[in-house]
Amino acid sequence: MKLIVFCLFTIYCCSLVKASYPMERKKLQEVLRELKMLKHDIPNTELMMNTPPKDIEDCCCLTALTCFRETLLQHFGISGKYQKKLYKSLNHTLTISGLNFCNTETSTTNCSTCHSHPKEKASEFFNRLESLVQRVRLFQIYFRKLYIKY
Amino acid sequence: MRVYILFLFAMMSTRLLLLLYLTGHVFAKKSQDVDCLVVNLDYVSCKWNKTGTPEVNYTFYSKLGNDQWKICNHYLTENNVNIGCNQQVDSRDRFKTFRTRLTNGSENFEKGHELKKQVKLNPPTNLTVLNGSDFNLWFYWNHTSPAPLHCVEGEVRFRTNNNNWDFSKVSAGIQKYCINLPSSSSRYELQVRNRIDDSCGESIFWSDWSEPVVWGSNNSTYSKDLMSPWTPVIYVVGAISFILLAMLLLHHERLRIILVPVVPKPSPFLHNIEDWFQFSKGLKDNFKPDYNERACPVREYNYVSQSDVVSSDGSTCSVTTDQTNCSIEHDPEDLSAPFPSNPVSSEEVQKASV
Repeated sequence: MKLIVFCLFTIYCCSLVKASYPMERKKLQEVLRELKMLKHDIPNTELMMNTPPKDIEDCCCLTALTCFRETLLQHFGISGKYQKKLYKSLNHTLTISGLNFCNTETSTTNCSTCHSHPKEKASEFFNRLESLVQRVRLFQIYFRKLYIKY
Repeated sequence: MRVYILFLFAMMSTRLLLLLYLTGHVFAKKSQDVDCLVVNLDYVSCKWNKTGTPEVNYTFYSKLGNDQWKICNHYLTENNVNIGCNQQVDSRDRFKTFRTRLTNGSENFEKGHELKKQVKLNPPTNLTVLNGSDFNLWFYWNHTSPAPLHCVEGEVRFRTNNNNWDFSKVSAGIQKYCINLPSSSSRYELQVRNRIDDSCGESIFWSDWSEPVVWGSNNSTYSKDLMSPWTPVIYVVGAISFILLAMLLLHHERLRIILVPVVPKPSPFLHNIEDWFQFSKGLKDNFKPDYNERACPVREYNYVSQSDVVSSDGSTCSVTTDQTNCSIEHDPEDLSAPFPSNPVSSEEVQKASV
């Protein structure tokens, strides 16, 4: 009897979580939180890294995310606590699906490769990553409706 | 000598540089500083009159990201001089690079702007108050910007009876506020303002405060922490009563024991359990570990006549049976007391009990 009650309670709680808040939005919020922790954790560094541009096309957001993630791995590794968390979050399926609002028919070949991006300071790198996630988080619904329509 | 020459050279260089700086400053063109603000995520408002109304009419151009330069189509004017420009933009555009250009003949001032945080929303609207079924005061409002609800955080301020304002933050996604168990004789006034949340690119500017909403009695006394004249009297009387009661308790032991009974202090030494209770000695003995209860004999007694007692044949024994009361302490070997008037010998008793 107790097991049945426990299972029903678990199902009820899971349904509340699913119904109350989109998981992708929550994941992106987690990415922002971890990014903030990492920015405070690492000292001001003059390290120069390939940084996607500020004006990223909508269909190139996923390519930019990949560039951010791999550049982060290359320069900071995953040995640190916050580096590891951020890398895992950027590699999470929810993050990827959150930034992937380009339908398969649209060509993404016009997106620049990671190594073609000019190098910027680490602070600018993190600011652009933050802006990318914030922009997607702000207009997620708009993006989805737009690309579903077309 | 060399030191003297070096010193002279340094002095002259400094003076020359100072002269050049001052000269350059005088002859330098007065640059126009442009400040831009995203208003309610609807349009960008740029102004260049921070240092005063310009002397000439500038033409304003703006460029978003990799787009082409666009000329302004809605100027803000003051005394027939252009002082600003409102330009429609998409709300996503604040994450892009925004460049402005002011031109007037040969003059050309370009500037880059970071619009992400330069956002000012319109104040919340439709601020209403409801007295809930839970006897709490609930305030609700709306926002007019195109930003989704989870991107807008708020701040409320309220005051009771025109006292000082109390501030409270409201998390993103929530457009209500509660005041617990309000007093029906007090007057509550509340205002709210909002801005873009940190997770969507926090804006550094809060919106203006909304129109206030008021709840409560208009006739209530707007006392700024004024106390009733009886309040200090009550406090003094209460303090004196407390002191008197304390003195009474200290000096009247009998009263103290009744009001504050003494808690028995448990003895640190272990005692036998039978000492805790008022048992009889016989019952006390029953708790001893080496107690060995003696068997209680049960005997049958026959009421027989004298003639039957004389004969040794026990076959005519009657059937009446009587059990002795074993709670009465007596020697089990003593079978003669207390029994009926015709006691029978032990051998006859054994024969009869079979």
